Amino acid sequence: MQYMLLIYEDERIYGPDRESPVARERRAQHIAYSRELGATRLAGSGLKDSTAATTIRTAAGKQTIHDGPFAESREQLAGYYLIDVPDLDAALAVAKKVPLSQNGAVEVRPLLVAG
Amino acid sequence: MTSAALGLAFRDASGRIVAALASRFRDLDLAEDSFADACARALEAWSREGPPRDAAAWLYQTAYRCAVDTLRRRRTEHRFAPELQRNVIEEQPMPDEWTPIPDERLRLIFVCCHPAVAPDARAALTLRLVCGLSTREIARAFLLSEPTLAQRLIRAKRKIAEAGVSFEVPGPEAWPERLDAVLSTIEIAYGRAHEDAAGSGPHFNYAAEMLDITRVLAELLPHEAQTSAMAAIVRFAEARRPARVDEHGMMIPLAAQDPSAWIESLIIDARRYLDRAVSLQAHEPRVLHARIHAAWCARRSLAEPAPWSEILALYDELLKVRDDSIVRLNRAVALAEVQGVDAGLGEIEALAAQPLDDFLPYHAVRADLLCRAGRRDEARIAYDAALSLVATAAERLWLERQRAALTE
Repeated sequence: MQYMLLIYEDERIYGPDRESPVARERRAQHIAYSRELGATRLAGSGLKDSTAATTIRTAAGKQTIHDGPFAESREQLAGYYLIDVPDLDAALAVAKKVPLSQNGAVEVRPLLVAG
Repeated sequence: MTSAALGLAFRDASGRIVAALASRFRDLDLAEDSFADACARALEAWSREGPPRDAAAWLYQTAYRCAVDTLRRRRTEHRFAPELQRNVIEEQPMPDEWTPIPDERLRLIFVCCHPAVAPDARAALTLRLVCGLSTREIARAFLLSEPTLAQRLIRAKRKIAEAGVSFEVPGPEAWPERLDAVLSTIEIAYGRAHEDAAGSGPHFNYAAEMLDITRVLAELLPHEAQTSAMAAIVRFAEARRPARVDEHGMMIPLAAQDPSAWIESLIIDARRYLDRAVSLQAHEPRVLHARIHAAWCARRSLAEPAPWSEILALYDELLKVRDDSIVRLNRAVALAEVQGVDAGLGEIEALAAQPLDDFLPYHAVRADLLCRAGRRDEARIAYDAALSLVATAAERLWLERQRAALTE
C-alpha cells in the first residue's frame, strides 16, 4: 500500500531562509533517512516556509486567493514522504523514524488508489 | 430446540469463526456478514434436518462458503482487482465439516485494539467481534444509545480497512505499545463487567468471555508477564463475585466479604497464572496489581485479620513503578488501616482533587475516612458527591446506608 507521511513542525525553529544550523542539520538527517528508505520511498521533499504559501479557497463555487497556509497554527505542514509498504504497521514504523524536532507530528495517510 | 442449539453454538464459536474468517479474508465486514448469513441458514436448515453433529464446524463451513460467494460476486462485478480476489479465494481448499476452525482470536484482538483505532471503539469492537456480543448488549454495557455505538463500530471497521491495519500478531519488538493497547482494552471491558457487583446487569454475561480472552492471551503470549497477570486479575476478581453483595443487593466492601463464599477453583487457577507472572517480572505494575488481589484472596475467613500491612507494602511497591492518583488513593485506604485514619486522610487531601472529581471511589473513600475521623459534616458532603456519581444499585444502597448512619 502507498502512504503519504505528512510532517508537521513549528517551522520557526529553522529560520526564514532555512539556513540556520538546525535547518542544515535536519536537512542532512533527511538525506540520510531517504537513503536508508531506498525503494520504499517513492517521493518526498521539504516545503518552503508557510509564509510562502498561497491558498485558493472555494466557497459556494466562488474562488478567492489568499496569502498564507490553509490553516494558521503553530505547527505547519513542513514536508512529506510518499512510501510504499505492505501495511499500516510498516508505514508507522517508517513514520516513527522521520527526522523531527523535539515537537511535531507525522500524519500517516493511505492513498485512495494503491498504485 | 433449534434456536437453543444455535444459541449455544453461537456463544461457543462466534468469536472463533469470525476471527478465522477475518484473518483468512482480511475483511471484518465480510467476516461478520458471512457469519450472520450462516446463522440465518442454520436456523432454516436445522429446523428441517435437525442440528448437525458439530454445529460450530457447520457454521464455519457455511460462513466460509458465503464469504467466497460474496467475493466471487464482487469479482464478476469487477468492483475489485480480479487478480487479488482470485488469490484470496483459490489458494486454499474449502473447509469441510471435519476441518478444525483455526484459532485466530489473538490476531483479531490485536486488530481491534490497534493503536490506530479510536480508544473508545476498541473495547466495543473486541466485544462485538471476538466475544460475539450484540450491538444492543454492548450499548447497554457502555451506557450508550445503540445507534451511537453502531456508528462507532462502523467508523472503527472502516478505519481498519482503509488505513491498512495488518492482520498479523505483531512481533515482540512492538509489544510494549501494542500489547498495552490490548490489555488496557481488556481492562476497560472487564471493568464494565466487574462494576456490576450484583451480576444482574447487561455486563455480567461477558465476564465469562473475559476469562476466556485472558486465558487465550496468556496461552499465546506465555513469556509476557502482563498477559499472565491479566488472566490472574480477572480470575481473582471473578472468584469474589458471590460475596460482593448481600441478600438485599447491597455492595459489601472487600474487607467485609466472607472469604468462604469466594470461588476456590478460580483462585487456584488465578494463583497459577500469578506464579508465572511473578517468575517473569515481579515488579511490573499489572503483576503488582495481581499480587494485591492475591493477598486478599489468601484470606481464609472473616475471623482472620484483613491483610492490610501486606496490601500497603504492595501499594508502596506499585507507587515506585506507577505513580498516579488512583494508586495513591488505594494506598491511602491501606495506610488508614495500618497507620490510622489521619495518615490516610492526609494522603487523600494531598491528592489534587481535580482529576478525581468524577471518580466515585475518591469521594467514597474520603467520606468514609472523614466519618471515622469524626468530621461528620464534611463526610456528608463527600457522600453526596459520591452518590451523585453512582452507577450501580449495589453501590447506591451501600453509600446510602453509610450516609444514613452518619445522621443517627
